Amino acid sequence: MVDVTTKEAPSFASPRPSTGWRALKRYPLFSLSILVFFLLIPAMFAPLLAPFNPYDGSLGARLLPPFWEEGGSTEHLLGTDKLGRDMLSRIMYGARVSFTVSVIAIFIGGIIGTILGLLSGYFGGRTDSVIMRLVDISLSLPTILLALVLSAALGPSFMTVLIVISVLLWARYARLVRGETLAIKELDFIARARVAGSSHVRIMLLYILPNLVNSLVVLATLQVGYVILLESTLSFLGAGLPRAEPAWGLMVADGRELIVTAWWVSMFPGIAIMLTVLSLNLLGDWLRDHFDPKLKNL
Amino acid sequence: MKPKHSTLFAGLMAMVAAVVLSAVPETGWAGSDVKRLVFVSAGFDESNRIWDVSKPDHVQFDPYLETLLEVDPVTGEYGPRLATEWDHTPDFKTWTFSLRNDVQFHFGYGKFTAQDVEFSHSLMIRDDSLATLAELWRQVDKVETPDESTIIFHFKSPVTRTTAEYAFARSGDLKIVSKAQWDKEGVDGFDRPAGTGSYEFVGRNMGLDINYKRVDNHWSGLTPAFEELQIRLAKEPATRFAMLLAGEAHIGDLPRELHADAVKRDLKRLSSAMAVDWVSVYLGGMYLESDEAFDPEVPWTNIKVRQALNMAVNREELLDVVFAGRGEMAYISNWTSASEGWDPEWKELYEELYPYDPERAKELLKEAGYEPGDIKVGLWGYTSPGESEHPAIADAMGIYFRAIGVDAKVELLDWSKVRAAYRGKKIHCCMWPNVISWRPAIQGARNWWWSGSASNVFNSEFIDEVYEEWNNTLDTDRRTELARSMGRHLIESFAEIPLFWFRNELFANAEVVDGWAYPGLGAGRSTHFDRIKPASSAY
Amino acid sequence: MQRFIAIRVLQSLLAALIMSVIVFGLARVSGNPLDVMLPIEAMPEDFERLEKHWGLDKPLVTQYFLFLGNALQGDFGESLKYQGTSAMELVGQRLPATLELAGLALLISAILALPIGVIAAVGKDSGWDIAAKVIALLGQSLPGFWLGIVLMWIFAVMLGWLPTSGRGGIEHMILPAITIGWFQVAALMRLVRSSMLDVLDTEYVKLARVKGIPEWKVIWKHCLRNAGITPLTYFAIVAGSLLTGSIVTETVFSWPGIGLLIIDAIQARDFPVVQAVVIVFAGIFIFCNLLVDILYAYLDPRIRYG
Repeated sequence: MVDVTTKEAPSFASPRPSTGWRALKRYPLFSLSILVFFLLIPAMFAPLLAPFNPYDGSLGARLLPPFWEEGGSTEHLLGTDKLGRDMLSRIMYGARVSFTVSVIAIFIGGIIGTILGLLSGYFGGRTDSVIMRLVDISLSLPTILLALVLSAALGPSFMTVLIVISVLLWARYARLVRGETLAIKELDFIARARVAGSSHVRIMLLYILPNLVNSLVVLATLQVGYVILLESTLSFLGAGLPRAEPAWGLMVADGRELIVTAWWVSMFPGIAIMLTVLSLNLLGDWLRDHFDPKLKNL
Repeated sequence: MKPKHSTLFAGLMAMVAAVVLSAVPETGWAGSDVKRLVFVSAGFDESNRIWDVSKPDHVQFDPYLETLLEVDPVTGEYGPRLATEWDHTPDFKTWTFSLRNDVQFHFGYGKFTAQDVEFSHSLMIRDDSLATLAELWRQVDKVETPDESTIIFHFKSPVTRTTAEYAFARSGDLKIVSKAQWDKEGVDGFDRPAGTGSYEFVGRNMGLDINYKRVDNHWSGLTPAFEELQIRLAKEPATRFAMLLAGEAHIGDLPRELHADAVKRDLKRLSSAMAVDWVSVYLGGMYLESDEAFDPEVPWTNIKVRQALNMAVNREELLDVVFAGRGEMAYISNWTSASEGWDPEWKELYEELYPYDPERAKELLKEAGYEPGDIKVGLWGYTSPGESEHPAIADAMGIYFRAIGVDAKVELLDWSKVRAAYRGKKIHCCMWPNVISWRPAIQGARNWWWSGSASNVFNSEFIDEVYEEWNNTLDTDRRTELARSMGRHLIESFAEIPLFWFRNELFANAEVVDGWAYPGLGAGRSTHFDRIKPASSAY
Repeated sequence: MQRFIAIRVLQSLLAALIMSVIVFGLARVSGNPLDVMLPIEAMPEDFERLEKHWGLDKPLVTQYFLFLGNALQGDFGESLKYQGTSAMELVGQRLPATLELAGLALLISAILALPIGVIAAVGKDSGWDIAAKVIALLGQSLPGFWLGIVLMWIFAVMLGWLPTSGRGGIEHMILPAITIGWFQVAALMRLVRSSMLDVLDTEYVKLARVKGIPEWKVIWKHCLRNAGITPLTYFAIVAGSLLTGSIVTETVFSWPGIGLLIIDAIQARDFPVVQAVVIVFAGIFIFCNLLVDILYAYLDPRIRYG
């Protein structure tokens, strides 16, 4: 995918926030609140909030339905899974797992991508060619397949998932950063800094990088949701996180034959994934529209 | 309209309506209306090349290829099929079969003769043969076919009656194909193999289905009730369940988790006549002490630890949880009352040594010198088509072990990894459950416990000694004695964590299928497709 | 321009080569197909014999060059699992099924995304916009396998309108195509929306409005035509996610395509087939990327790098 900016950035003419429900829609309150509810609070406070240990269950209490169904109890609000583990606790701890995986993977991918993108855009020439070629190659690797084969080779593990996802992500950052660096590089204040004797590194870090932050944040936000989905798909295919972890994707995969019988085993983590990813996407969309319309083709 | 006309009109309308309504099939599900019976399977190695396919996957051959001997669908006894009589020499090295002379191959490939049997056998011993019993077939030194209806196999070493009958019957993998077809079409003939069964092979769509058509005037006189048969493939259990409920498939196999629900939704359970599979959890690292791979640091090389692990398992609960209570306790792998050396006294021995007693288990660990948290074990679960119980069992073991202070971690891998590890003797860390089908006791000993095999599940010098003698003795009493001693040794040594014997269970649409008598012992677990009984109505 | 194309093509070939090395290495490291194929009865001698028969006992590097040599002639070897069939033959048998599904998925997503995108652009920030966004984003927020199973249960089991699985007429394709396609709707819709927004803002459109051309005509005839160019980028990504989506969807719906083939092949450690499928996937990705890049370079000279 080529970074094309064929038009100049439209003016920052966001409509004035007006009163009432229009304001609500305009501000991603909805998405933020879902995000906070589903991802951040459980992720930070799971050990305190969760009623049960997510790893242990009792076989005698397996497949209990949620409390509003017949046979359910308020002890296990959302029911239990095949091993008698409490669904609510697992979902809470799962938020933590999803969050951790996404943040780390995006961090790794983002850092590698940003560094390479900066180098590529700033120095141009051969460096640029080589790096962009790597980007193209990386973008043309069928990642899920690689993940499957890698996992078959090494066994499912946290490391495998991280490697796979980082490999998938870095190229997009590199492309984005390169494009923006190319644009910023031409501006006057950079030239002045060169004349004044600033080193390349200094220029890149102090002058260019700060101007990239907006775009990076938007991209990262948009990617968290994607990473969560990717992790769940990998788990479904058996190439994801190790079995004992309360990861949402694993939970949905685990309950897949029970989707109609013990529907809660797959449904609740599925809903958790959906709401989280949806709100992240809405948030990212809004961020992009308001901070960096140049990214609209992402 | 004038009143008379309107009545007439109404009458006509009523008649039309009646005709139309009666023409619309009710559900179309009544057994008599179903022309093509659809059996949905979790999957198998799709190939028509009989020498490339292992026993469990022989389900795809069962409708159209036959064997020399039959397995009775209800009693499991061996009986005549393509062979009418069979006998052996006193040294058990030569087996002679008298064959039927009224059997025709499909597609006009002529009469079934001894040459076809000889040819089929030669396929089993090809260089690239993956047949389950290939090793036995390679023991054949010479094959004689003095006439069309007689075939004589000369084996290099003695083959007991149990083993021979097991191998030549529907429970074995010597499926009879046509030499005439090979002569004419070569290996390409296996795109559409001619067989002798009551169904003939029509075609297959890779990844999707296999189709068979009923044959008229089968030599057995038995005509299958369903004109067409289709075996469909569907990896996802939810998909198979959906197909059964939507009426797209009439019989299917479902994972244990769904059995209760299937019954609730009025699907009919079709059990095999016998308990054919057992599941046990095997321990890694149990090699001969003289073996360089042996590591005395592995905690469960200490018999007290093995006993403790066994006592930690609540088998009643596990049977309930995984099999809904449908199974029997297994005392040791592979031994049933049909096996050589079976000893009814083992029941008492088992009850004495393998109770559920987590407190005693904790004590035993302490006696062995291990504090809670000292022992770490990996539990390797994996799935195979048709065997979905492993992960659930691994998970459950994890719970039981953790309850006695053993640090257990469950991992879900695939069969390739697990097998590579135990074959390569690199599995000291871990244990794995396995569902295996019954085979004659001596075969079992050879496969798992004899130190020369590729499995290395539990080795000891005693086993090797007993096996040597047992394998070379023809005296039935002595054999029984030896087999019995090996069984006892294994039970007393806590060679594994034995769990249960269980039957093969399929589910069917009750409006289409009334019953299916099959033993479970046939190669492919689901066999005897011609015995599927349709639900009555018009029959 | 020529130079640009040449460079890009070379680059693509390099990408394919690297892919082949990675997959080859990983596949071989992942295990031994004999462990999957041989029955429990197999003795160590059987393993040795068959390893020799299939050349699995040769050193890895030798195996790689043998593989490469053959691959360049189009021969990816014989499948270890489906003996007697060459790996490429298997791929050839199953690829059409996946392409069918992908095609329908693309069609469905285009049919849904275009109007939604246009409506969203025209009614920017209104309730329509948000609603459109949410519907489209929903597709990107649901795990594909979950969606597939749920759709199957609702439409095939509970309502009985469509078959549950398998390949047959078009009714067999609808549910799997929706499962794959819905994911694309969001991306495509976003693109349509943003290009429409850009175009709606231009002088040309303002002029058309002043001239009194009815609004609907302005939107559908004038804007869409110009806005249509940008979604070209979409098609490079689409190839990737359609193929990826097919892996999961084909498993759920038992659709005998290339996605199901690769899953089975990986489980069976069927190296030739795994290699063949990955190369084909990568080839399709690379080709689409190449095509789009060339098209873009053609349209916008600034981005060619020399």
